[in-house]
Amino acid sequence: MNSTAQDEITAYVFAVRAALGDLPEAQRDELLEDLTEHLTEVMADGEGPLTDRVGSPEAYAAELRGTAPFVGGFPDPPTRPNPLIELRDQVLPVLRTADVKVGGVLGYERASDFGRLLRPAWWVLRGYLAAMVVAEILDGGDQPIGLLPRIGGSDGVALILLAAGILGSIWLGRRSFRLSTWPKAVLYGTSFVLVIVALTGFTQADGYTRDSYYSNVTSYDNPYSQVEDVFVYDAQGRLVTGARLLDQNGQPIHLGNAYCYDDEGTYADAPEGVYPYCASKAPFRMPDASDAPLPSPAPSGISPSAAEPSDAPATPSPSVSPSPSK
Amino acid sequence: MDTTQLLKGVLDLAVLAALRDEDGYGYDILRRLRTAGLGDVGDASVYGTLRRLYNGGLLTTYVVPSDEGPHRKYYSLNPAGRAELQRSGKVWQGFASTMDDLLRERGTA
Repeated sequence: MNSTAQDEITAYVFAVRAALGDLPEAQRDELLEDLTEHLTEVMADGEGPLTDRVGSPEAYAAELRGTAPFVGGFPDPPTRPNPLIELRDQVLPVLRTADVKVGGVLGYERASDFGRLLRPAWWVLRGYLAAMVVAEILDGGDQPIGLLPRIGGSDGVALILLAAGILGSIWLGRRSFRLSTWPKAVLYGTSFVLVIVALTGFTQADGYTRDSYYSNVTSYDNPYSQVEDVFVYDAQGRLVTGARLLDQNGQPIHLGNAYCYDDEGTYADAPEGVYPYCASKAPFRMPDASDAPLPSPAPSGISPSAAEPSDAPATPSPSVSPSPSK
Repeated sequence: MDTTQLLKGVLDLAVLAALRDEDGYGYDILRRLRTAGLGDVGDASVYGTLRRLYNGGLLTTYVVPSDEGPHRKYYSLNPAGRAELQRSGKVWQGFASTMDDLLRERGTA
C-alpha cells in the first residue's frame, strides 16, 4: 500500500462524504465509518484507479444512499399494535427495577435470584399438595383426612402417596425447562390450581385451629351440661337430702349450680357439692315417705337403683344421670 | 429487465446468505456475490448493506490482523441474523415459486 493509493482513497471518501452532505451528520459518519478500510481492500485486489473499479464518488454515494433505509430488504409485514405486548413493555421495566431493589434488601443481586433458589422447595410443596388433592379425591371416608394424604385413614398409604407426589413433582420440576409450550402451560395451570387448593386448605386448617381454641368443652358433648340440680332418691323412692356425689377416686362430682331460686322467687346460696341444692324443686315427691310403696313402675329412668334393692342411697358415679324431665 | 432493480429488493438476503457458511470482510463478501453470479452488484451496495445489517443487530464484527494490509473487519451472522436469513429466505422462496408458476401458466418459461 503506497501513499498515493492512500491519498486516492482519502480523496475518494472525502468526495463521497461531500455528496452525502445533506444527510444528518451522525448518519453520514455511521455510513462512512469503515469506508476507508473497505476501499483499501478493494484497491489491494487489482490495478487501476479507484474510480474505474467502483465508479465515481457521486455514483458511489448515490448507491450508498440507496441502501440507507435502515430496514430489512423486504418490507417488514405491518406490525399490528398488540395491546398485550405494549402493556408488557410498560410493566417489565418497573418489575425489573423492583426486582433489583428488593434483591438488595434480601442480600441478592435480584429478588428473582433468591426466588430461583426457592424453586426446589416449591417442587416439594407442590408434590405434597398434589398428593393431598389425590387423597381427597380417592378417599371415600366421612372422616376428614387431616394434614397427610390419607386414604381410608391409613398412615402407610399417606406416606407412600406423599413420597410419590414429592418425587414426581421434583422430577417434573427438573424437566419443566425443556418442556414445549403446551405441556408447560398445562403444568403451570395445574400448579396454579394447586396453589388455590392450598390457600383454601390453609384457611380451613387455620379456622379449625382458632375455633378449637375458643370451644368450651362442657357446652359441647357433655350430656350433663343442662343439669342444674341433682336429686337423689333412695330405694324406697324417698328424696335424699344432703347427698354428696363422689367418683371412683373420691373426687367430688360437681353438677349444676350451687344456688336455689325457688318458686316464690327467693334466692339462696347452697353449699357446693351437697345435693339437692333446691329440695323444693324435686321432680317427684311422696305424700308420705314412710309408708310409700316402691316407686314401681318408675317413670322413665329416674330411679336407676329401683330395680335392685340396695342400701346405697346414691351411686357415686357420673354415669348415673338423673335427668329432670321438664 | 434491469437486474439491479431486482437486486435492491434481495440484497439483504443475498448478503446474509453469503455469510451463512463463513465469516467474511467487506470486499470478500462482494467477491462471493459476484462469483455466485450476481455480477451487477455494486461495491457501495454491499458495503452499505453490511453497515446497515450490522446496525440492525443482525451481524457481529471482529477485527483480524492482516499481513499485507490494514486490519480487516470481519462480519459474522449472529443468531438474530440467522433467524432473519431463514425468515427472509422463506419469503423469497415463496415469492420465487409464485413467479415461476405465473411464468409457466403464461407459457413464457
